[in-house]
Amino acid sequence: MPHLPDWLNPEPWLKHTVSAQEVERALSAESPDESTLAALLSPAAADFLEPMAARAQALTRRHFGRTVQLYVPLYLSSHCSGGCAYCGFAADRHTDRHALDFSAVEKELDAIHAMGFEEVLLLTGERSSQADLDYLRECVRLAARRFHNVAIEVFPMAEEEYRSLAEAGCTGVTLYQETYHPETYDRMHRWGPKKDFFQRLEAPSRALTGGLRFAGLGALLGLADPRYDMLALYRHVRHLQKTHWQAGLTVSFPRIRHEAGGFVPPHPVDEKMLAQIIFAFRICLPDVPLVLSTREGAAFRDGMAGIGVNKMSIASKTTVGGYGSEGSKEGQFDVSDDRGLDEFCAMLRAKQLEPVFKNWDGVYRLTA
Amino acid sequence: MLKLGTVEFKSRLILGTGKFSDTATMIKAIEASGTELVTVALRRFNREKPSDDLCAPLAKLKNITLMPNTSGAMNAKEAVRAAQLGRELSGSPFVKVEIHPNPHHLMPDAIETYLAAKELAADGFIVLPYIPADPVLAKKLEDVGCAAVMPLGAAIGSGGGLSTAEMIKLIIRDSNIPVIVDAGLRAPSEAARAMEMGCDAVLVNSAIAAAKDPAAMARAFALGVETGFAARQAGLMPKSDVAVATSPLTSFLK
Repeated sequence: MPHLPDWLNPEPWLKHTVSAQEVERALSAESPDESTLAALLSPAAADFLEPMAARAQALTRRHFGRTVQLYVPLYLSSHCSGGCAYCGFAADRHTDRHALDFSAVEKELDAIHAMGFEEVLLLTGERSSQADLDYLRECVRLAARRFHNVAIEVFPMAEEEYRSLAEAGCTGVTLYQETYHPETYDRMHRWGPKKDFFQRLEAPSRALTGGLRFAGLGALLGLADPRYDMLALYRHVRHLQKTHWQAGLTVSFPRIRHEAGGFVPPHPVDEKMLAQIIFAFRICLPDVPLVLSTREGAAFRDGMAGIGVNKMSIASKTTVGGYGSEGSKEGQFDVSDDRGLDEFCAMLRAKQLEPVFKNWDGVYRLTA
Repeated sequence: MLKLGTVEFKSRLILGTGKFSDTATMIKAIEASGTELVTVALRRFNREKPSDDLCAPLAKLKNITLMPNTSGAMNAKEAVRAAQLGRELSGSPFVKVEIHPNPHHLMPDAIETYLAAKELAADGFIVLPYIPADPVLAKKLEDVGCAAVMPLGAAIGSGGGLSTAEMIKLIIRDSNIPVIVDAGLRAPSEAARAMEMGCDAVLVNSAIAAAKDPAAMARAFALGVETGFAARQAGLMPKSDVAVATSPLTSFLK
C-alpha cells in the first residue's frame, strides 16, 4: 500500500471538527490558505453556500474577467488494458474497441476546428499497441497543425516521452490522480500499470519538466471521502506551484456517476457538495483556472459559469470520434450537457460572459 | 501631449481589452474613456473565427492606435516572436512587452523583459515594457531605447492600487521617457493620484472590465486622469506636518 508523503497527506486537517464561527472567519480570510480550505470544505460550511458563491464570483471576475474559456475533447482510442473499477472503457467491460486511424483523426480534427475551437484535448486509455507513444505523437502533430492548444489526457509517461510530445506541438497534459486515498486507489485500480500510485502522482511533474506548459489536475469525486481527496488535491497543486513555478495549472472536478458497467460510487457527491468544493477552491486558489466538463448537467453548469468556473468543455463526444464521422456506439461516460456550441455560447452571452476560444497562441510553443 | 516614440496622444489613459463580457461592451468602454491607445493580447487575435477575435473590431475604431502585447510569452525569445507576429497582423509599430512566466501571479520578469525590449527597440518597434516598479531597471530600459516604462502599481487584476508608490516616485524623478502606471489600479482616485505624483499616463483594464457599468467606469477613469494631470500642472501645495503660522514665529530675527 502506498504511504502518502507528508507534503501530500491531508489527514491532519480531517481530525478537527470545524465550527460555524471558523467558517465565518475562513470566509473573511485576507490570505486564504490550507486552513481556509479545510474550513470551507467542512460540513459546517454547507450552510454558507451563498456567501461562498459571492466571494468566489468576485474572485473569478477579478482574475479572469467576464470570460469563459472553451475546449473540446477528442477520444482517439478506447483500447485499454486498464482495470479501473469505475470506467466504461476498462479491459473487462464488454465494449466495442476502436482507434481512429490518422486519416480519421484528421477528419475529426478538421470538423472540430470548423466548429471554432482552438483548444483540443486528445484522449486514450492505457498504453496499448493501438495507441502507443508513436501513435499519440503523430496525432499531436496533426492537431498542432490546426489548433493553438493541444492537450493530452492519456497514460502517464516518462519525461523524455513528454518532451517528444512537446516537440511535436503538445502544450498541456490533463492527468487526474483519480483518488489520493491510497487504500481506495489500490482497490479501484484492480490491475495493470495504473496500480502504481506514485508513477501517476509524479507524472504531471515529469510532463512539466519535459516541456509541457499546462497541467490539469483533479480527482474523481465519488471514489473516496471528497474532503480527503480535495485537500490532497489542493496540496498537490500547491506543491507543483512551488516546484514548477512557470506551469499553468488548472483544476477539474469530475464527478463520477453511473458509468457503462454499472459502477456505483461509494462516496457520492451531490450538486450542493460539488458547488461547495468549487467555491472553496476558487477562494483558496483564486488565480487557478477551474474547469467543469459536460459530465455535469446544463442547469448546474449554467449556474457555475463565471461564479466558480472559468473553463468549460462543450459539444463533447465521449465516443471514439463522432465529430467528423459517426463515432463508436459507447462512450466512456454519459454526457449530461448535450447542448450544441451555439446554444451554449448564447447561454454564456445571456449571462454577460464572453466565450473565449483562443486564449493562447501557437507562437509560444516549446522553443528550447 | 503624451509623446510615445514619434506619436502624440491627447488622452493620457490607455486601455486594456481583456476580461470584458463582450466586444460591444469593450468598444463602449473604449469610446467612453476617450482613449487613443489600446493594448490587445496577441493570444486573443483570432483571424479564423471573427466572433472570437479582439483585433479586428479594435482596428475598425477611428482615432485608436493598437498596441499588441506579448502576454503569454515565457521569455524574451517568445516575446520577440509574438511582437513580430503582432506587428505583422495589426500593422502597428507599438508593442507592449509583457512577460510573466508565472501564469498565476503574473509578475513581470525583469530580465527577460529587458532582453526583449532591447531587441525590439533595435528592430524599430515603439516599445512599452510592463515592469516591476524598479527604478534601476527603468533607467536601463530607457538606455536601450524604450519609448516609455510601465511599472506596476500592484498585481494585475488585484485592485491593490498604488502599492509601489515610493518606487514609482523614484522612477519618475529620474526618467527622461514617459512613466505609465500599468496594473493594479482599482479606483479613478488612484489614477488621479498617479497623475498627481507625476506619471505621464495610466493603463487600466480590470477595474473597467470588472465594473458593474464598464463604460461609466471608463469615463470616471478618464476624469480621474484628467483631474490628476491638471492638479500636477497647477502645482500642488507642499505637504507639511506642522501648521504654518499666519504670523511668522521668527519675524523678530533681523
